Amino acid sequence: MSTVGTKIESVKSLQDYREELLAGRDPATRCVRVCIGTGCTAKGSLAVLEQFRKAADEMPGDAEVVESKCTGCHGFCERGPIVVVDPGNVFYHGVQEEDVAEIWRETAIGGRVLERLLYEDDQTGKIATTPDEIPFYSAQKRIVLAHNGVIDPTRIEEYIAAGGYAGLTKTLDSMQPDDVIDEITRAGLRGRGGGGFLTGRKWRSARRADGEPKYVIANGDEGDPGAFMDRSLMEGDPHAVIEGMIIAGYAIGSSRGTIYVRNEYPLAVKHLTAAIEQARDLGLLGENILGSGHSFDVRINRGAGAFVCGESTALMASLEGRVGEPRAKYIHTVESGLHGKPSLLNNVETLANVPQIIFNGADWFASCGTEKSKGTKIFSLVGKVKNTGLVEVPMGMTLREIVYDVGGGIRDDKQFKAVQTGGPSGGCIPAEFLDEPVDFDRLTELGSMMGSGGMIVLDEDDCMVHVAKYFLQFLKAESCGKCTPCREGTAQMLEVLTRITKGKGREGDIPLLEGLGELLEDTALCALGKTAAYPVLSTVRRFREEYEAHIVEGRCPAKQCPGLFRYEINAEICNGCRLCAKRCPVDAITGEKKKPHKIVQEKCTNCGTCFDVCPFSSIMKV
Amino acid sequence: MCENSTSAVATIIDRYAGDADMLIPMMQDVQSECGYLPQTELKELSGLLGVPLSQIYSVATFYSSFRLMPKGDHTIQLCMGTVCYLKGADKISEAIQKEFDLVPGSTSPDGKFTYSPINCVGACALAPVMVVDGEYHGGLEPGSAVKLLHKIAEAGPADQAEKKPAAKKKTAKKKAAKKKAAGSKKK
Amino acid sequence: MPTVTIDDKPIEARLGETILQVARRAGVWIPTLCHHEALSSSASCRICVVEIDRGGWWQVVTSCNYPVRGDLTVRVNSERAIRGRRGVMQLLLARCPESKELRKLARRMGVDGTPYPKVTEAQRNCILCGLCVRVCEERIGASAISNAGRGVERAIAAPFRMPSDDCIGCGACAAICPVGTITVRTHEKEVEISPFKSRASLVRCSECGCPVGSELVKQALADRGGPKLVEILARRPICPQCKREKLAKELTVAVPSGNRGTSVRTT
Repeated sequence: MSTVGTKIESVKSLQDYREELLAGRDPATRCVRVCIGTGCTAKGSLAVLEQFRKAADEMPGDAEVVESKCTGCHGFCERGPIVVVDPGNVFYHGVQEEDVAEIWRETAIGGRVLERLLYEDDQTGKIATTPDEIPFYSAQKRIVLAHNGVIDPTRIEEYIAAGGYAGLTKTLDSMQPDDVIDEITRAGLRGRGGGGFLTGRKWRSARRADGEPKYVIANGDEGDPGAFMDRSLMEGDPHAVIEGMIIAGYAIGSSRGTIYVRNEYPLAVKHLTAAIEQARDLGLLGENILGSGHSFDVRINRGAGAFVCGESTALMASLEGRVGEPRAKYIHTVESGLHGKPSLLNNVETLANVPQIIFNGADWFASCGTEKSKGTKIFSLVGKVKNTGLVEVPMGMTLREIVYDVGGGIRDDKQFKAVQTGGPSGGCIPAEFLDEPVDFDRLTELGSMMGSGGMIVLDEDDCMVHVAKYFLQFLKAESCGKCTPCREGTAQMLEVLTRITKGKGREGDIPLLEGLGELLEDTALCALGKTAAYPVLSTVRRFREEYEAHIVEGRCPAKQCPGLFRYEINAEICNGCRLCAKRCPVDAITGEKKKPHKIVQEKCTNCGTCFDVCPFSSIMKV
Repeated sequence: MCENSTSAVATIIDRYAGDADMLIPMMQDVQSECGYLPQTELKELSGLLGVPLSQIYSVATFYSSFRLMPKGDHTIQLCMGTVCYLKGADKISEAIQKEFDLVPGSTSPDGKFTYSPINCVGACALAPVMVVDGEYHGGLEPGSAVKLLHKIAEAGPADQAEKKPAAKKKTAKKKAAKKKAAGSKKK
Repeated sequence: MPTVTIDDKPIEARLGETILQVARRAGVWIPTLCHHEALSSSASCRICVVEIDRGGWWQVVTSCNYPVRGDLTVRVNSERAIRGRRGVMQLLLARCPESKELRKLARRMGVDGTPYPKVTEAQRNCILCGLCVRVCEERIGASAISNAGRGVERAIAAPFRMPSDDCIGCGACAAICPVGTITVRTHEKEVEISPFKSRASLVRCSECGCPVGSELVKQALADRGGPKLVEILARRPICPQCKREKLAKELTVAVPSGNRGTSVRTT
């Protein structure tokens, strides 16, 4: 795939190669960039890309200077497929196949902007031509995601031209392994995968650990539901992860790298595989990299579908071809991990930060963020927020800024209720804490956690018991089953939550849940089990009255739990179209045509079909 | 089901230089070629690799992406991520199960669909999302999901073997073309 | 030598010993289920948890695998440790309400019953301690059974839940099962390991006709044993009772340690 195909043998030659690439670029080159991240692909961006290539054939124009290329995720998945046209950085969203010919003719060749495809802010009515004019992007600080949406992730030349592998050349050219570790330590980088452990300290332990060979493992088994930061990085900027791994290998004295990628991410596997091949072709992976004497190679292992494999010891068991069961961690994996050898396990996002820290220096990195949480963090902002997507913001930005400025506020102008952070081990943060800064320690103090960066926004329609039940369902299904408390405890908690959401909760259920929560935290074997009760404990703590309403009054305040609220027809709105009556599976809706209908409550099973099908929103939940 | 499999297992083992650490990738390759994990292949893998069959069986039943039964013409993966769930994926799941007589992890009696609810596919902007034969369908509700599946069933079986990630784009195109062809034939 | 203080009582310990070993030596009782001296540690049942002092805060750990790496202060009978152990027992009782052995242990721990309902039918009366899997792999070398599935639906099974070709019918799994779930059934000509359905042909005592063991065990022993063992095994099969009476003198040869637990129960 690489056009070079010959090995680069020294740091100097790589720099020359980069300059050559840059010199060969015409700044006036017109270029159409089509996002082919999973989000946009799902909305049809591959067909759009194909149309652009066809258009180029049929209507060559200045064919030599106009190219269409695919790029990694732009982050604004809500608005996909996203197409950006250069020069001018013109940002089109929701592009359909039928728009392509016009974009090609008008914008790509003609340089004219098509207003109808531009982003319009639904609050201010302002029209944005470039991403910088869109609040979703302008409120972000994109360091790790800087290449996403800009470079073609399947071409190493683009990464190099954009300054890629400069962190590696600096490392190999002028730094000793300990210098690298010092730099990462001084930068204050903390693990982006969940724990928030100081990366520099982990690297130091790995360097000091006895044993050969040592392993560098990139954890791309992003399992938290509602989180896709790592997916986007592996799809959109795979070389940044690989470069981070090579530097880590140099720092700790390892020549073997493994990337563990989640099974559900086929595009990430594809892009990483291509990136590894290209890096090998150029001599950036393999023996004696750039003549430095440092050797390093990377292989990919695909996960096979087990959330628990995000846990370090389980992940390593999986890499050894076994069932992903955690083991007691009285000895850290840094000292005794894969095959009992020192193993450095870092999250994909953590590693993607490394090349930039090395290249720009620790001070540059530490200038951003809060006292103990440096740099930026990528969040996947999803749920009931207007702008769903990936956002990268400086540590310390407030929840309000993230939800309202970047996210554009709550969909359908509903009431904000809470934001769930930290995945299944995290917690729910209610509205009263919206002005809190988001960093590792503050989120923990609020009874939640940073986790890998999932941020699920909940509104007034979301029942907190239902949310807790969801996570327990997830954890029950994902518990490996090795230890008693997690295996049996999650199932028992789900049992209790299920009866509460059915209106069959009993007095004493809340203390029972709290007791089980404490038992799991104390006695479960791994972090998954120890934190499995957090979704319950956190919602009980913040929204106890919702639990009580279910148990004591048999009422679901958010009107989400079937049977704990009623559907009624608003006679003032209903025009008797009969649609609901036709679709009702139990014939519980009566009424003459063109006259307001009525729901026979005795028959109604609360399935909600009428609510979903009514074209006039005349069905109410009461 | 899986033809010429005897040599296939040996080839797969060779691909990973007989490294028993790579048992899971090998099993993924077997599944990719056979569509599921047939007993004969697993026994052969155990014999050639020197890994106890019980360990292989344990791995096969632990990881949710492995199947021990042949799959249907189409694979339905319904995203059960938080956002999809909050936006009604559970209702879609119920509707699909009822309509096609499925339970999670099973194949419908008519052999048309294999159904597996899966954890977040990371396409939350499209929630609720259903992936059918590798293609993403977003913004669904119970009715439209069932309708979509009937349409897919009518169009005929997808490729027998699972697509390898590296060849995904190509096969997707091929499949689209096939679908069009099937559609026009009907007309 | 490090000192381990258990409930205020100082005990001298060796480096690398587990808290459980130290406690047992000192006569402090800690319940265990998934632990066995002859097998690797799994620390999966969590019934043996105790509290340890981590310099200012107390951590709950499993005593069966926590290694002594220096002076250590342990609370076995603190309120929190007892609550943890009893909580785990209540969860197990919900899973296996029928096991007499489990109920007996529960009573000794001060647990009368469980507030929880039964939430799975995955495997009748099995606490999933995994001793059977480990003994089969580590001591017998057969690896005939393993964990199948995960979470609360997990079960111990032979591959494909069918009789296993790897099972030699030794019955070690039945002998080690702490809750009496695995049994060896003897049929006319075969031994069957229940619930795994694996069968092996039965050797009967040539003197009295009572069941002696499985033919495959004999073979396995022959494969492993020295010339003298082979010689003994080549003789006519004979049950322990008759053996004692007739061949006492010759039976001084050590049987490999892993097969000592072999026993046959007639059902």
